[in-house]
Amino acid sequence: MKPLLQVRNLRKHFPVRGGFFRRVTGWLKAVDGVSFDLPRGQTFGLVGESGCGKSTLGRAILRLHEPTGGRVLLDGTDITALERRALTRQRRHMQIIFQDPYASLSPRRTILQTLLEPMEVHRLGTPESRREKVLELLHIVGLGPEVLHRYPHEFSGGQRQRIGIARALTLDPKFIVADEAVSALDVSVQSQVLNLIARLQRELGISFLFISHDLAVVQHISDQVGVMYLGRLVETAPTDELYRDPRHPYTRALLSAIPVPDPKWRSRRILLQGEIPSPLHPPPGCPFHTRCPEAMPVCRREMPDWRPIKEGGIPHRVACHLY
Amino acid sequence: MTRSGEPLLRVRELAVEFSTERGPVRAIDGVSFDVLPGETLGVVGESGCGKSVTALSILGLIPSPPGRIAGGSIRLQGRELVGLPERDYRHLRGKEVSMIFQEPMTALNPVLTVATQMTDVLMRHQGMSRRQARRRAIEMLELVEIPSPEKRIDDYPHQMSGGMRQRVMIAMALSCNPRLLLADEPTTALDVTTQAQVLEEMVRLQQKLGTSVVLVTHDLGVVAESCHRAVVMYAGRIVEEAPVEELFEHPRHPYTEGLLQSIPRIREEKLPELPTIPGSVPDLLELPPGCRFADRCYKADDRCRQQEPELELRCDIAVACFHPNRYAGCPES
Repeated sequence: MKPLLQVRNLRKHFPVRGGFFRRVTGWLKAVDGVSFDLPRGQTFGLVGESGCGKSTLGRAILRLHEPTGGRVLLDGTDITALERRALTRQRRHMQIIFQDPYASLSPRRTILQTLLEPMEVHRLGTPESRREKVLELLHIVGLGPEVLHRYPHEFSGGQRQRIGIARALTLDPKFIVADEAVSALDVSVQSQVLNLIARLQRELGISFLFISHDLAVVQHISDQVGVMYLGRLVETAPTDELYRDPRHPYTRALLSAIPVPDPKWRSRRILLQGEIPSPLHPPPGCPFHTRCPEAMPVCRREMPDWRPIKEGGIPHRVACHLY
Repeated sequence: MTRSGEPLLRVRELAVEFSTERGPVRAIDGVSFDVLPGETLGVVGESGCGKSVTALSILGLIPSPPGRIAGGSIRLQGRELVGLPERDYRHLRGKEVSMIFQEPMTALNPVLTVATQMTDVLMRHQGMSRRQARRRAIEMLELVEIPSPEKRIDDYPHQMSGGMRQRVMIAMALSCNPRLLLADEPTTALDVTTQAQVLEEMVRLQQKLGTSVVLVTHDLGVVAESCHRAVVMYAGRIVEEAPVEELFEHPRHPYTEGLLQSIPRIREEKLPELPTIPGSVPDLLELPPGCRFADRCYKADDRCRQQEPELELRCDIAVACFHPNRYAGCPES
């Protein structure tokens, strides 16, 4: 079966302006040639450190940022080629959940108004059926009808995130981008929301692009994982394989850097030298070579190919000269 | 096993109150713990549990109004800090106790170079000349492994990356050889690879200089890797205190147990469901009469809902619970 989402060589470059006339003085390549497939009903976990371009990638896929190049196919429809009205119609199939639901829920609207709005905009159903749908969605995310006439500030962070999820579900999307959706939540609540997302994926068959800086969270929720560095994917693999047998030196360093909640565990930590270079001036060759413990002369000169090292339903791909 | 020696810091029955539109609220209530010389104590809990307020009150930095210390005592080497005039506190801060915050950009002055900020502290507290202070500041930057410190010292904070700024904060905080370092979520704003570098740095310096550290964090992984003991806070109270090995292996309090289970950690096998703690933290203005965790606790009974358990110390482990988990190796008193 064809994957639900196909991302091909997607690029998003932002102009950098400077000087008196605000002329374009350079380009920030936030996303620079990303390709991956997301099968129907699965979750693709996207990890990376701040500034690696993971959020920009999520937004470029939805055309919340207009891509600079490349293609995005959702269920066979080329999203990148749609004109404005057709794009608006497609939007109901793809939704986004943000990190801070407080910032994305209108403080002056009740929960009922917030959840009705998308259906009203897309003229779906009748007033009665919409209201019914809202109640059903609240039930799905674990909230009762008593919340309908309350305002966002009356809820805790975890409850607000549940409302954000309910809103994303109002139009029965096929695909949801969850951008750091549980990062602002405390652990005890975080696990509740993660379980909820996993259940939605299972029961409603929705595909997720789950963006997070937290590798442990991503492992729990994803079928396959992609690791991003300076605007590019450096490794993708089925989740179990990526955590069991990480190949790219950056993936290995990332995995080893996570503090382990076990005082008896003695780390064999790969401490990276220095910090992520500025995406405005990415190093030549492999973007990771400046910090890579295994860098070879070729890494300074040539960008490694994005090649599969293991085929299969979900291939294991790496961009590294070691393989 | 009991800990011996005179504590460097002794906090007893500390209560901090804030006035709000809905009335006074106790952010922490009856908090007690000791920190021994050279020891790193983790203070861990979820947002709103009072862990940062605890750290701020030790430094006399509770904004007043709306906040005030409503009771209890904080003794540093026997000297009472509660009620200390601001003038005396100013002499203490940076010299005997210093602090690292989550976001170094808010703690560093953006219009002064790192050199100016570091030498000011040294000249003020150590009576050094500007030249001596500069030399010492460069040494400290070298110690936290800032590359070419003699050049970077003349940078402004915005010219540095987040990880570098946090190292400068650490260097600055330790430059006067304080006896106690308070670190409030020092690595939370950093990426994992940078966090690993900064944590390693902190632990190394702490061992080298023998500084006592109170490390406030929400991350149990950070506690496991860098603390000797830890205090777990919930809704303004300490629910458990233990050496870290004991805390992680044998959590006594059901909250600690639940917290440890629900942390997403990298596992050999994916779990079908993550363990959770049901419900959410109670509103401090509408606290239940009994145990603050009772509503979410799988062990709670009528007694828990009516009576608040006190923190009880048994063989180096303190728990505030009527039904703590019991483990071998600790004689019941």
